Amino acid sequence: MTMTNPPDDMLDDLFATARAVTLPPDDALIARVLADAARPLPPRHVKEPLLVQLRAMIGGWPAFGSLAAATVAGVWIGIAPPPVVEDYALSLLGDTVNIGLFSDDFLTETGEPTDG
Amino acid sequence: MPLARSQMMAVSDPFADASDEDLLLAFAGGDPRAAEVLTLRLLPRILAQAIRMLANKTEAEDVAQDAMLRLWRMAPDWRQGEAQVTTWLYRVVANLCTDRLRKRRHVALDLVAEPLDSAPSVAAQIQTRARLRALSDALAQLPERQAQAVALRHLEGLSNPQIAAIMDISVTSVESLTARGKRALAAIMAGRKAELGYDDDEPT
Repeated sequence: MTMTNPPDDMLDDLFATARAVTLPPDDALIARVLADAARPLPPRHVKEPLLVQLRAMIGGWPAFGSLAAATVAGVWIGIAPPPVVEDYALSLLGDTVNIGLFSDDFLTETGEPTDG
Repeated sequence: MPLARSQMMAVSDPFADASDEDLLLAFAGGDPRAAEVLTLRLLPRILAQAIRMLANKTEAEDVAQDAMLRLWRMAPDWRQGEAQVTTWLYRVVANLCTDRLRKRRHVALDLVAEPLDSAPSVAAQIQTRARLRALSDALAQLPERQAQAVALRHLEGLSNPQIAAIMDISVTSVESLTARGKRALAAIMAGRKAELGYDDDEPT
């Protein structure tokens, strides 16, 4: 290494050489860039409203219609059960059974509650 | 002059006085002519920035195309008055270049023959190419922020406040990064002095 040409001189020369480099874009590159510009933007990931997400989840508007019909039918059957439903329910359940939470049996088995 | 460019410029330029930002907003609004004017304005500078850092034509062209693609994609979201388009592009190109340099660290040198303008002789051309590639490879060995700061300062010739805006750091940080980066570069390059012809006279 000579003192007349320390590394900093070399670096400065390299920097100057690099700064002098130019590379005019050729037509092929310009065409590539403009083709990119002409391409439509990719779809953007915007959060959709809740209703739209739900619709997509259950399979579109037809599914929504069926769901609504089933809901209305269920509510209606609850309010005013047709005779056939009432009979069927009775045949399954039989007699009415009452279960008290604080029945007398419960109290007598554990003894009278006392104050501590 | 290549055909496409002369054809483009033959059309009277309705954007002659428009700022880069105006053009970007016009492009986002669906005006394809704005893209042409922006490309002719911005592409030469970003390609030059990339070739200086990478010393490889193919890589520099890919980076320039990628940077412009990011500009097109970002156009609808551009927030007016917040930053300059050129500042934003300097940052994108610097980041893309250091990404490339990082990948190069583990790859063997490939000195692709590339034409250089107005070099005095073939020998000088070869040496210039070798020097630029050596500088680029040395940049690849620096921490990325140091490499970016050094390149913006010494290859682009930008001021410290400009670099601070591009890198989104303080001027003091820029000074520190460029100083450390330049010292590290000098240490790396010192070993290649003879090989790059810095001990002898310049070839004629």
